[in-house]
This record gives sequence, C-alpha cells and structure tokens, in this order.
Amino acid sequence: MTTGVVVTGLGLVTAAGVGTEPTWRAVCAGEPTAATDPSLAGLPVDFSCRVPEFDARELLGRRANLLYDRFVQLGLIAADEAVADAGLDPATWDGTRVGVVVGCGLGGAGTWETQHATFLAEGPDQVSSLMMPMMLPNMIAGHLGMRFRATGPNLITATACASGATAIGVARDMLRQGVCDIVLAGGTESAVVPLILTGFTRMRALSTRSTSPATASRPFDTDRDGFVIGEGSGILVLERAEHAAARGARVRARLVGYGASADAYHATAPDPSGAGVERALRAALADAGAVPSDVDHVNAHGTSTPLNDLAEARVLARCLGPGPAVTSAKGALGHTLGAAGAIEAALTVLTIENGLIPPTANLESQDPEIDIDVVVKEARPQPVGLALSNSLGFGGQNAVLAFAP
Amino acid sequence: MASAYDRLTDILVNQFEVRPDELRPDVTFEELELDSLFLVELTLVVKRDLDVEINEDDATPRSTVADVVKLIEAQLDPAS
Repeated sequence: MTTGVVVTGLGLVTAAGVGTEPTWRAVCAGEPTAATDPSLAGLPVDFSCRVPEFDARELLGRRANLLYDRFVQLGLIAADEAVADAGLDPATWDGTRVGVVVGCGLGGAGTWETQHATFLAEGPDQVSSLMMPMMLPNMIAGHLGMRFRATGPNLITATACASGATAIGVARDMLRQGVCDIVLAGGTESAVVPLILTGFTRMRALSTRSTSPATASRPFDTDRDGFVIGEGSGILVLERAEHAAARGARVRARLVGYGASADAYHATAPDPSGAGVERALRAALADAGAVPSDVDHVNAHGTSTPLNDLAEARVLARCLGPGPAVTSAKGALGHTLGAAGAIEAALTVLTIENGLIPPTANLESQDPEIDIDVVVKEARPQPVGLALSNSLGFGGQNAVLAFAP
Repeated sequence: MASAYDRLTDILVNQFEVRPDELRPDVTFEELELDSLFLVELTLVVKRDLDVEINEDDATPRSTVADVVKLIEAQLDPAS
C-alpha cells in the first residue's frame, strides 16, 4: 500500500537571511547575495554567499558554539522554523514515528580546518575532544533527533550537490512505506572555508569575478564562468497525507514524484548527453503519474557553470519542450552544495503556493545555445500545477523531485 | 593573585558557558551538564591557561568543582 506525501512545514536559512520570508523575498526580487568575504581574504576567489550574522547561543542554547559546527547550527535553526510552521509539538508526538533524513556534502568543514591548523601548529595534545562530534556529517541528523525527540530512522544522504534533494526523496520513500508518519527532511551545508574554496578553485568550478561578486552567479547567461559558493539549510516537514489530514494540518504542497539516477560518466563533469538527468526526470514524472506537458515549472539546478547549465537546459528542452517556466535560485543564493536541493525544493513549494515564479538573478544575456523559457528580471505570476526541482551532484548523482498543489 | 577556585570558575563561565549562579564548590560537572568529552576539554584549557596538568582520569563528570580546585592548588602551590 502506498500513501500520499505532503509538505506541511518549511524552514530556510540562506545568505538572504534567517527564515523562509527573507529568502523568498530576495529570490523573488532577483537580489544577489554574493559579497566579498573577509574570511577568504588573499585567496584568488574571495567572495561567497554567507548567511548573515546570527546569535547561535540565543537561537540554539548557551553551548551552541561548543557543541555544534556551523552546518549543524544552520540545520537546527531551519528545522525549528519548519516544525513550528507545521504546527507540530514534539513534546506530544510519537517520536518513534518521526524520522530524520538530511543531506550534507561535507559536514563540519570549519571544525576540520580549525582543528587541523591547531594540530599542525600546537601538536596533538591541543586538539579538541569535541572535534569529532562536531565534524561528523551525520551529526545534523543526530542532533535533530535529540532536539525534536525524533527516534525513528535517522540518517544523512551524501550525493554532493544533490544531497538535499536525495534526502527528500529517501524520506518520501520512508513515508510511503509506512515506516514513519513524519520525516524532517532537507539539507544543510556550511563549507565556506579557505581550504574548500581552494579545492573548488583548483578544479576551476568557481566564478572568478572577484571585482563584481554580486553579478558572479549568473545561471544560463552567456558570460557565466562558474558557481559561487554559499551556505545554508532547508528543512521540510514531510508527512503521510492521512496523518496530516487527521490532525487538520495545512498542506503547503504535495510531493508527488521522485526520480534518481547516476550518470556513471565522470567524477565532476555532467554527461553532456544528459542521459542520466533525463532518466531521473522521466522517473519523477512517471512516479507522479504525469506526462511532460503537465510540467508548468522547473526549479533548475542551474549552477552558473558552463557545462552544467548547457547540459541541463538541453535535457529540459528535449524532455519537456518550450513550455515550462524555468528558474535557478543560485543567481540569488549561490550554490549551497549539499543544502541546495532542499532549499530549492522549499522554493518550489513556495512557487506553487504563491503562483509566482522567481526570476533568475543576474541573467542579462541568455546563452543562445540554451533554448528554454528562463524567467528573468521580474517574478512571473503564473498558476503552477506541476513543478520539478532538479539537482545534479558531482559523481554524476541526479535527483528530481515533483511537487503539486 | 586570584584563587584556584576563582580561576577555575572563570574558565567554566567564560569558556564552557556555565552560569555563575550554578557554581558552588560541591556542584558536580554532571550537574553542570558537562560530560566526559567536556572534561577532557577542560583539562586542555586548564593546561593552556593555568599551566596546570590534570590527568584526564582524575577529573570525571562526577567530580565536584572543589575536587578539581584541589588538583589545581596542588600544582600551583606544591608546598601545600
């Protein structure tokens, strides 16, 4: 027996601000958040999309900075918003029926880098005993379980830039199988640290527009030259439709399809044929019982790299034709790696809910080889019946989610 | 010169987020919600800030603040 799965809560933390509202506002306004980042001073790429300053102690408790790496902090803050948004009270729920699935690409990169510097400069005796539980990527799921008394299945997914979307897909499967009634699902990442920046720079994945960081992330643009690294978190409360109905919950959208695939082509480059992405997209459509002409909107992966945007656009054009209105949130928010798929899934839900498709920030001159309807300049009011959210990860891992009102 | 108690409680308040009103000589680290990992961290900070070496096995979550003060005093003033 399968069950419908619905979204009853959203939580976001992005470079646009702490909360769903500032993020949605910035994305709809096409406002880029990339800026020169003092923590990256002296590096060839010295800008990022960093979450504005927040007081972790105030939001998460007095020992937040001792217990939680920043990637965990962002995830917990987003989850607080999502659970409250869903109208759920963890004090009264059956925790054994609540699961946690969160995507994360790198884990505690900041802790890793700081402690490694201590190790080299001061020796092994000066390395913190708190390093390991701060650094391990699965700790976001562990801490969410502790914070919300969620004692059902508890895991993370690591499919690089698709991690957040994969997590939502895996959570959907758990709900469909009746393993849980509720799953906190999404992604979190905070890897804006010099070593990680350097790694991405060395592989020529990043935009090098240091003199004009705000305009650097420009998905589908003729002059795109790489992605802009960001940090953030998106957490969705997913629920079995019957469970949500029984408690009178507000349904923000339905999660009607999920498709996943592997390119099995190259460690970092997308398969230029798009065959892997196409399989995931068609699987999501089949799962939703939909056909290509049903798709009104695609929230694209759209990283602003030359290879990704062209390969992805070709797949969209080939599979869906010119119909769907396409956007990429990465022009505004940058690329949040393991969190991106979840943040964009949340934005897709908001798009459906508001009947408003955000523009792709910084898209001034669409690449003539990209023959799809990309929303530019202003948000486009339009009813959305079926929307896809695409995520493509290094390693060739693809995840496509399908949402409907 | 500040007493060992004052120096330890300064560390606990400023680096381990213990509230001053929670502190008394007979309170245990467990009661302050400082587990064994935090105790290892405390020995590191005490070594770094006070130049006092506490064996990790001598300071446990069940130790009181006074127990650790005694260990610090023994090294700050070996004649005592």
